[in-house]
Amino acid sequence: MAVQPELEKKGFAQTVLDAADDVFTRITAGIPAGEVRRMLRGEAPGRPNPRLKPHSEAFLLHIKPTYYHESVTRFTHTFRLGLLSTYLFFVETITGLILMIWYAPTPERAYTDMIRLLSNVPFGQLMRDLHRLGAELMVLIVTAHMVRTYLTGSYKAPRQFTWFTGVILLVVTLFLSFSGYLLPWDQLAFWAVTIGTSMAEAVPPKVVGETVNLLARGAPDIGANGLMRFYLLHVLFLPLVLFLFFFVHYYKVVHFGISLPSDEEEIGQDTANKVPADRRVYFLPDVMIDEATFLIGFTALMVVITAFFFSAPLESIANPQSTPLHTVAPWYFYWLQGLLKIADKTIAGVILPGVLLVLLIAIPYLDRNPSRRGRDRRVAIISGVVAGIVMIILSWMGTPYYAVQGAPSVEIVQELMPEEGMGPVREIGYAHLPLGKYDTRENPVTDDEEFNHILHEFEASIAAFEEKDPSFNQAYGILSVTQEQPSLKRITWEIYWLSPEGVQDKFVRTFFLHEDSLYWEQYGLKDFSFVRPPAEE
Amino acid sequence: MKRPWYSFLYIRSPLVKIGLGIVAVMISIAVLLFLGVIEDRRMAAQTANWDGRAIEKGAEIYANNCYTCHGPDGKGLPGVAPALHSKYFFTQRLKDVGWTGSLHDYVASTVAAGRPSKVKSQWAQMMPTWSQRFGGPLRDDQVNNVTAFVLNWEKDALTQGTPDNPDPWQPFADAPSKAVAEGGGAPVAETPVEPTGPRSPQELFAGANGMGCSGCHNLDLPQTADSRGPVGPNMANLYETAGSMVPGQDAETYVYNSIVAPNDYIHEGYMAGIMPQNFAERMTEEEIRSLVAWLLDPNRQR
Ligand code: HEM
Ligand code: HEM
Repeated sequence: MAVQPELEKKGFAQTVLDAADDVFTRITAGIPAGEVRRMLRGEAPGRPNPRLKPHSEAFLLHIKPTYYHESVTRFTHTFRLGLLSTYLFFVETITGLILMIWYAPTPERAYTDMIRLLSNVPFGQLMRDLHRLGAELMVLIVTAHMVRTYLTGSYKAPRQFTWFTGVILLVVTLFLSFSGYLLPWDQLAFWAVTIGTSMAEAVPPKVVGETVNLLARGAPDIGANGLMRFYLLHVLFLPLVLFLFFFVHYYKVVHFGISLPSDEEEIGQDTANKVPADRRVYFLPDVMIDEATFLIGFTALMVVITAFFFSAPLESIANPQSTPLHTVAPWYFYWLQGLLKIADKTIAGVILPGVLLVLLIAIPYLDRNPSRRGRDRRVAIISGVVAGIVMIILSWMGTPYYAVQGAPSVEIVQELMPEEGMGPVREIGYAHLPLGKYDTRENPVTDDEEFNHILHEFEASIAAFEEKDPSFNQAYGILSVTQEQPSLKRITWEIYWLSPEGVQDKFVRTFFLHEDSLYWEQYGLKDFSFVRPPAEE
Repeated sequence: MKRPWYSFLYIRSPLVKIGLGIVAVMISIAVLLFLGVIEDRRMAAQTANWDGRAIEKGAEIYANNCYTCHGPDGKGLPGVAPALHSKYFFTQRLKDVGWTGSLHDYVASTVAAGRPSKVKSQWAQMMPTWSQRFGGPLRDDQVNNVTAFVLNWEKDALTQGTPDNPDPWQPFADAPSKAVAEGGGAPVAETPVEPTGPRSPQELFAGANGMGCSGCHNLDLPQTADSRGPVGPNMANLYETAGSMVPGQDAETYVYNSIVAPNDYIHEGYMAGIMPQNFAERMTEEEIRSLVAWLLDPNRQR
């Protein structure tokens, strides 16, 4: 194209503007600037509709439908849960890739790498907390998405296969979360995963179980091999599987269209793809603006939560020789732990979860009821709700509150100063532990209000156990705080009691606490006291 | 079509949505900026935190493995193991042994590899190797933790050297200090602790001016087939067993002889020459008698 004649015909300014619009249109894959202005003003598209062009031009948009049925764009129809699941996987991939920079999957390095990440990498803690929070939210939201599709009956014909790929995605998400759980290589990680993989061992017959276990752990116990395998599963194999199944899942969603609210179509019909012209909502710009705003808002929420209310835990380094008191699975497996407490390992750990999975996959084929309307599906909805309640009860039974109380003396100390994590004593911290010996029989009172609170709880807890437990009589406790070293206090708990035969018994537990140690809870307002260093002495 | 009651929540206007998106971006940026401003302080606090936790873990390891020989307060036990909580140790020891690395490396490597040789050593026991690399029980991180704990005595140790806070260092027979006369880190070689009157059995057994018996003998565990003291026999049930150890010796004689002439009778499974031979010179007759009576007392007071 010759520049000269063009300039002569249109003048300089117009030529530049046209060239700029041309570039703009290439960048937006087909939408000129004027059309963008019309979009923002909410005007109708020109004809032929230029807003459809990007769907055929741009790779990222070619998988998105060009328009939706107005009813399914309502927030309360899908709650955007599928979109959120997709987005969270995206967040996990980005933050996960960043974490990989500082992480080496060997027992010698994994834990120290975590410490280095927290203390030497700018924004390292933020990345880790985001990844961990994202993981927990992803499990939560994928499950919620499943519940929503169940309640709206969206698994019914023709979407049975969509549901099937969804179940696979749920399983992969759980495994991803579980395999990531091991990577920090602390006590929490090590024992949760040891318990988890030991369930694989219970697969009958014995040879199979042992082989599965050996394959997962790379050795009879988790060690360097197991960590490497979990790492590869976590960063490579499982993300690839999730990726693949996501595209199958999403292709099916677009292919059939998102199911309409059930009372907008006849029973047994599927009209999701026949959208009357006056009910169409085009992806560009309406749905795109809606989804983008939603995701940006969600991102802001995640950033605020991670910055102020969520800290990924890091306990002591993994120690195969010492099982901490009350080891727990991650919360999304509490229900399994609860099952394991009431049934034997093969039934609770293998057969029941297996049956559950098959049932979940089979739901579209078991439920022959053609109607998706709530009032026609009482059986399905009630059984769904009952299943949910059973899950919640089992989860509660999976927590240490149910049926794993240790000896009273052990529990009393664990409550106030747990082996791992914070607890009330570490919460008030070094500065609020005055040196001395405090005997609960003398109702000691100190100048420190917060410490008095601890002493009071110690007394109350002993009294409570005395009442509950007949083998724990005339009990009293002695708490001593001594200076072990500069900046290091020794905290000794002694509990004395009489057994039913009248024999005196005794329990002693010693802890150390350093002035600079920070302990934190996973959920709750973060401690920002380091921002203002203590006044000079 | 009927609108649900919550339909007022639906936002229709694209401009309002875009506005909300911009607000959300601003909030994220503000939070990230805030985090960026305090990031240095956060990292410093985390660094201090993990150093502190290493010391806590080290304290536990010390209390479980080291204190029987190096003393509960790190001031050593005479004849058993040297002090670590000592000004000399922090200021002069490296120069005297000719170590060119850091004190951290010196402690860590001594913990890891132990002091396997008893040649020319005045100490009752040799220090075992602690690192798993050399057949001991501790992982590398645990060796580092206990090292951090030992080094944490520094601040306190440097205040030593005054009459009421003496340096507990006991000079090594095989590495005499080259800095005896100097001020500063001078060891206390020639400050013999003058006993004032007879020392109590408790003091003799485990005290700072004692004989260091507790380094090898456990008073709380009985000596039975499945509870044997690894270096020296346990002593919780000594009052029951002492009378029948050597034919012809009653309990008092047996215990007395075992203190003044330990090699005369060595029980199966123990080695001669581990227990110091010079107790008769280091304690008065009166002290030895009271120690024997105390050891054989079924209601022994600690
Ligand atoms: C990583 C996990 C998953 C991702 C990323 C994902 C993504 C999506 C997306 C984007 C949609 C579009 C509609 C919507 O937003 O609701 C969708 C629909 C659907 N999903 Fe998922 N999904 C996941 C897991 C699951 C699970 C666990 C199930 C069920 C077991 C499931 C079953 C369905 C069904 C049946 C539909 C069709 C809904 C309809 O047409 O109304 N999905 N999924
Ligand atoms: C391709 C995607 C992913 C990559 C490359 C990746 C990478 C990593 C890496 C390197 C770690 C170790 C760092 C650490 O422990 O903080 C990690 C931890 C973790 N990952 Fe992922 N990850 C990915 C996706 C996911 C997904 C989808 C989930 C959950 C659904 C997940 C859950 C976790 C969990 C729970 C941890 C432990 C976090 C902690 O305690 O710090 N990850 N991931």
